Amino acid sequence: MFKGLDYYDIDKDLNPQSRLVRDTVRDFVEREFIPKVREHYRAGSFPTELIPLMAELGLFGANLTGYELPGLDETSYGLMMQELERGDSGLRSFVSVQGALVMYPIHRFGSEAQKKRWLPPLAHGKAIGCFGLTEPDFGSDPGGMITKAVADGDGYVVSGVKMWITNGSLADVAVVWAKLDGVVRGFLVERGTPGFSANEVTGKMSLRASITSELVLTDARVPKENLLPDAVGLKAALACLNQARYGIAWGAIGAAMACFEEALNYTLERKTFGRAVAGYQLTQEKLVDMATRITTGQLLALQLARLKEEGRLRPAQVSMAKRNNVAMALEVARTTRAMLGANGISDEYQSMRHMCNLESVSTYEGTHDIHTLIIGKDLTGIDALDR
Amino acid sequence: MKLLVCVKQVPDLESRFKPDPSGQWYSETDLAFRINEYDDYAVEQAVRLREQLGDAAELTVLSVGPDRVVEVLKKALAMGCDRAVHVQDPAPHLKDPWQIASIIAAYARSQQYDLIFTGFQSQDRGSAQIGPTIAELLGYACTTTLVGFSFADGVVTATRELEGGLKGVVKMKLPALVTCQLGLNVPRYPTLPNIMKAKKKELETVPVANLLQEETRIATESFYAPEKKGGGMVLEGDVTELVNRVYAILKEKTPALRQ
Ligand SMILES: Cc1cc2nc3c(=O)[nH]c(=O)nc-3n(C[C@H](O)[C@H](O)[C@H](O)COP(=O)(O)OP(=O)(O)OC[C@H]3O[C@@H](n4cnc5c(N)ncnc54)[C@H](O)[C@@H]3O)c2cc1C
Repeated sequence: MFKGLDYYDIDKDLNPQSRLVRDTVRDFVEREFIPKVREHYRAGSFPTELIPLMAELGLFGANLTGYELPGLDETSYGLMMQELERGDSGLRSFVSVQGALVMYPIHRFGSEAQKKRWLPPLAHGKAIGCFGLTEPDFGSDPGGMITKAVADGDGYVVSGVKMWITNGSLADVAVVWAKLDGVVRGFLVERGTPGFSANEVTGKMSLRASITSELVLTDARVPKENLLPDAVGLKAALACLNQARYGIAWGAIGAAMACFEEALNYTLERKTFGRAVAGYQLTQEKLVDMATRITTGQLLALQLARLKEEGRLRPAQVSMAKRNNVAMALEVARTTRAMLGANGISDEYQSMRHMCNLESVSTYEGTHDIHTLIIGKDLTGIDALDR
Repeated sequence: MKLLVCVKQVPDLESRFKPDPSGQWYSETDLAFRINEYDDYAVEQAVRLREQLGDAAELTVLSVGPDRVVEVLKKALAMGCDRAVHVQDPAPHLKDPWQIASIIAAYARSQQYDLIFTGFQSQDRGSAQIGPTIAELLGYACTTTLVGFSFADGVVTATRELEGGLKGVVKMKLPALVTCQLGLNVPRYPTLPNIMKAKKKELETVPVANLLQEETRIATESFYAPEKKGGGMVLEGDVTELVNRVYAILKEKTPALRQ
């Protein structure tokens, strides 16, 4: 059974409930997901057959309250994300999108009718959602989006293209961000809406066990009641991203711990020049750096959880954790890949899969450099992104 | 109907074990703890019976151990037990199975349970004594190593695993105790909503001193890893010579060629 890394004895400070959440998700990943991940990664598919069990476990929207949602504390929620991404970033992405990018905006910005209609089926995995913000020409700068909504009779006509949308082709409902009279608004666009289609992105060399799609809206008619009433302005979309980034900050630790365990076990077993590879100083330095950086990431995530729990969390603090922990995990994955020699490039081992995945994780939800500029602005008061 | 299930928390068996400084048990440093596998089957079976009986039944889960065992109690509560009892004992490994069984029996006697579930053995100590000893102390009917269970009209029907793949079926009247084996069922996951709901369930704590009346009857003398077996032998040379040497080794070291 996967044990993770707990160099600073953090485990004992977690409450039993958080440990139980972590161990439950760990068992689920170990028993149900790990045996399948290679086949799905090769095929470029997501294990949709696991959705009912994930729903039964309560993984979707787990930190939301009401509507029979679990209402997990933020540490437990973070540990859940950690364990999912220890399996694969694609698995964590699926849960992040469903919970933080689809259920959260409905929960926070939706009407009572929208919540009643969508939250239960989304929680039960009977409906899948996706989040369409990025466009072919606007990623880091979503405020420049071209997608547009025009009021028309008892609804809206939405047109535009969204790109790189996780779960796009699986989704029953898409949270689509579009400008209505120049203001960014969120719309619930349902599968089957005339003029709305999703095309799967192929040829990905990263996050292969996850579905990524293009959403095309050509005069798609969205009924009035599908506008999220309280999602006004880009800040509403960014609030969702903030939730998802919180989960990523934890998730990255899971991927890093999976790689570290692989690096440690492998170098203890593998002998070169008559000695275990782990016995060489160069190797030990790598292992020590990994363990130190993982431990640092854990402490960052834990304090982030406390801030979030107490409502003191600022977006730039989430940026710092996302930026640091994903870069940390990517570095750990790359180093592990190298330490495994030729075996490191094989999918018999996990580090190359994590390494490739983490390239996406480093890019989506605000690239590493964009988060640098967000924190930079926070520190200096000067907005490097100001036009 | 009152039901009890007894659970133990054990280290992950894939861990690297080291003797502790006393030399009587393993060191807990760096170990990850979880529910004893067979107790997981016991909880699942008890919860299924609880669901079958509905509100006519109450299911209690009990564990003896230090504070960390609260986690397995919470797990059992999240799986569907109604209430939990934590018998607080910072060092249960220093008690022998007789004492542990006596402690549980002392608690159970006061509660008049109709049916008690335990795992058939623990994964770490593996004495397989706790269940049958509790039954004996309480004067309950007892059957062990269940791979099948049903309950109707006040009678337990249990399928037991026997040596060599044989099965046996026994019937018992209540009060009774059963011990559970691999193959009985597939334990459910404690779901996140149920983990949260379990926070509100009662968790009674009882200091072990209130229940302990027995002296230890067996003491662990030492705890050690077996000596490493020597590495394999590699013989080289031509075939005739090799055959002679292998023959000599087999004759000297094994009974294979002795008459
Ligand atoms: C697998 C995957 C899944 C995704 N899922 C979703 C999803 O579900 N929903 C969604 O809406 N989006 C999703 N995305 C899109 C993702 O959020 C964007 O790719 C990301 O925001 C970056 O945008 P871009 O690709 O247009 O890059 P660009 O914005 O074009 O950036 C290109 C490069 O320029 C750098 N850069 C940009 N601006 C600056 C600057 N001012 N200063 C310095 N450097 C700069 C960036 O850091 C980057 O390295 C996903 C992406 C991937 C890869």
